[in-house]
Amino acid sequence: MRLIALLAAALLAHDAAGGLLDFTAAELRAIERHGPWPPPAPRDPSNRVSGNAEAIAFGELLFFDTRLSPNGAMSCGRCHQPGRAWTDGRRTPGGVIGATGRDALTRNTPTLWNAGFGRWFGWGGGSDTIWSFSLRPIRHPLEMGSSAAHMARTLRADPELACRYRRVFGEAGKPDEALLVDVVKAIAAFVETLVSARSPFDEFRDALARGDRDAAARYPLAAQRGLRRFVGEGNCSVCHFGPAFSNGEFGDIGVPFFVPSGVDSGRYAGIQRLRADPHNLLGRFNDRPGDAGAARTRHVQLQPRNFGEFKVPGLRNVAKTAPYMHDGSLATLSDVVKHYSELDENRLHTEGERILRPLRLSPQASADLVAFLESLSDTGRYVSGAPSRCASRRVQ
Amino acid sequence: MRLLTVLLTMGLALAPAAAPAAAELPIFDAHVHFSHDAADQIALSDAVAILRKAGLKGALVSSSDDAGTQKLYEAAPDIVVPELRPYRRRGEIGSWVRDATVIDYLEARLKRYQYAAIGEFHLYGADADLPVPRRMVELAKQHDLMLHAHSDADAVERLFAQWPQARILWAHSGFDQPQKVRAMLRKHTNLWADLAFRTDQASGGKVDAEWRKAFEEFPDRFMVGTDTFTPERWYFIGEHADWSREWLKDLPPALAERIAWKNGEDVIRAAFARRR
Ligand code: HEC
Ligand code: HEC
Ligand SMILES: [Zn+2]
Repeated sequence: MRLIALLAAALLAHDAAGGLLDFTAAELRAIERHGPWPPPAPRDPSNRVSGNAEAIAFGELLFFDTRLSPNGAMSCGRCHQPGRAWTDGRRTPGGVIGATGRDALTRNTPTLWNAGFGRWFGWGGGSDTIWSFSLRPIRHPLEMGSSAAHMARTLRADPELACRYRRVFGEAGKPDEALLVDVVKAIAAFVETLVSARSPFDEFRDALARGDRDAAARYPLAAQRGLRRFVGEGNCSVCHFGPAFSNGEFGDIGVPFFVPSGVDSGRYAGIQRLRADPHNLLGRFNDRPGDAGAARTRHVQLQPRNFGEFKVPGLRNVAKTAPYMHDGSLATLSDVVKHYSELDENRLHTEGERILRPLRLSPQASADLVAFLESLSDTGRYVSGAPSRCASRRVQ
Repeated sequence: MRLLTVLLTMGLALAPAAAPAAAELPIFDAHVHFSHDAADQIALSDAVAILRKAGLKGALVSSSDDAGTQKLYEAAPDIVVPELRPYRRRGEIGSWVRDATVIDYLEARLKRYQYAAIGEFHLYGADADLPVPRRMVELAKQHDLMLHAHSDADAVERLFAQWPQARILWAHSGFDQPQKVRAMLRKHTNLWADLAFRTDQASGGKVDAEWRKAFEEFPDRFMVGTDTFTPERWYFIGEHADWSREWLKDLPPALAERIAWKNGEDVIRAAFARRR
């Protein structure tokens, strides 16, 4: 017993003292591709106020303003809470909205960290911009249950909101629908600014990139081993690709997708919704119609494999965004790793080169992978950027 | 009880009204599974409603185990054509080729029920010559059944070597290139191919040029299929029928009809009719 305790202590000490795995050249290249971080701030060419400081401040106010919902109780921030990494910490928002059962929302509230780097929004990617996506929760009867008319009324009646609107967009005398689109563009400008800060993984990655072995060795060995599996045998990087750990597309990893009313077909319904959406990038609300984004939307094809595919989520700050998956069905990161470890191959229909296979991980290997995922957390906190009141300032 | 009867009668009376418009292209879906987990999660009546609402004229159905297929056949004998899978549960995809008890199972089912085919089974390369698959082929021969093979071209060749008169439905067209599929169809006159879970034959409602050549050269050999490999994909059957109708529009109507349903009727339902 004494001996075991001693050995354990020695192992721990070894871990704490650090060390560096002998990463191969290929592994080093794969690791390097997950940075650098942060990248340049995301910009949305279809949104003329993207990156505009006044719009961002206005959007931040709107994001948290419960008056945008007719019952005065709901805002974006009620579900996307800054203190919970912009999630609600629940399986699905049922508790937030006070609806359960067949009528409840069946999808998990995703984080908004790094949303601005995405190209499709929602678990099924039914929208091609953050601003067009945002019309959904605003109108959805179970979310904010609002309308263009309510939004316009609220905006025109409140001196502060009206003042901010004017400073960003000019006079508020347009049709309500146009005003609503402006509002979501301001909100989107704010959401785009939610870029997570640097994580222990980034320090490691940069240390490796500049050949600083001492600095790199400060990254825990367990995380190093997990990372090696992430870019190697696990094939995780194929989908959780690049600096934001998402290739921005959709995949089927065998998560069931029944819902009380049938199925949530994920990307399949997402493509149908995207095409039918008058606010997509092919529509008249795109502020720069000829852009590459519009071409992407035009070229999306509906394919049988899309049925049951869901968006590949980014993994930065993933330790703070439990529960996991499109339906919030997995409570912890250990559960997620267990899912990949015990993958049900009968649920997958991949031919040719198989990306996913059950990894059959030992407890140690599972813990390593979790340690790596945890190392993607930043220590930053959201600090409100909203400047002093607008209406009291003298504006012309 | 009275109420139930009334409701049921109403349901029946309403059924024709809910049926698809006459103009809609019928579909023979050559790749449907109704395995134990699907049967557990989807009520039989819902499953039948899905088939009818999709406008299916026929469906080649198999399941792990066979109970689901039989239940569905009983509930919709005008649509369902049963085939016998050599699996008792999901998860035998990789192990069945070395599991002799599979043969006992097949023999027991073949004594009790009629089928059009044995399949869909997963079989690759030299595994086709293992004792269990060989014995399965003998059973098919003995009972005059087609084979529905999720296989590479190599395994298909081996099946034909074992039984030159075999009639094989090549699941997913082997996930092979259209040129290779054509070569196989040219070589084997008793080979048909389903297009289940393929996405390369058409994009945005337009048929791929290489595939068009294959369809034109072999108008009598192709069929469409959903492949309900998870219970959830039952809800794709209707979408798949619509998706197929969409790309089939890009072919001459006579050819579209052959692929949509006539080949299924002429080959698969005919094989079943011969057995009964
Ligand atoms: C009732 C809870 C709730 C409210 C209120 C809400 N959201 Fe969400 N949000 C969700 C859920 C659930 C999803 C996933 C929806 C889906 O996949 O269809 C989501 C997804 C998103 C996404 C997509 C993220 C991504 O990367 O795919 C964005 C952006 C977003 N919300 C922004 C907003 C904004 C802006 C508002 C206010 C206008 C808002 N949300 C209000 C629950 C909520
Ligand atoms: C084929 C693409 C693919 C591969 C490979 C892959 N993932 Fe995923 N991952 C996804 C998709 C898609 C989801 C969301 C699935 C859903 O919601 O139903 C997901 C979800 C996750 C989540 C949950 C995140 C959240 O916010 O809910 C984590 C954590 C994760 N994956 C880690 C991994 C790890 C670790 C590996 C390697 C062992 C891996 N992934 C391999 C596509 C992939
Ligand atoms: Zn198959």
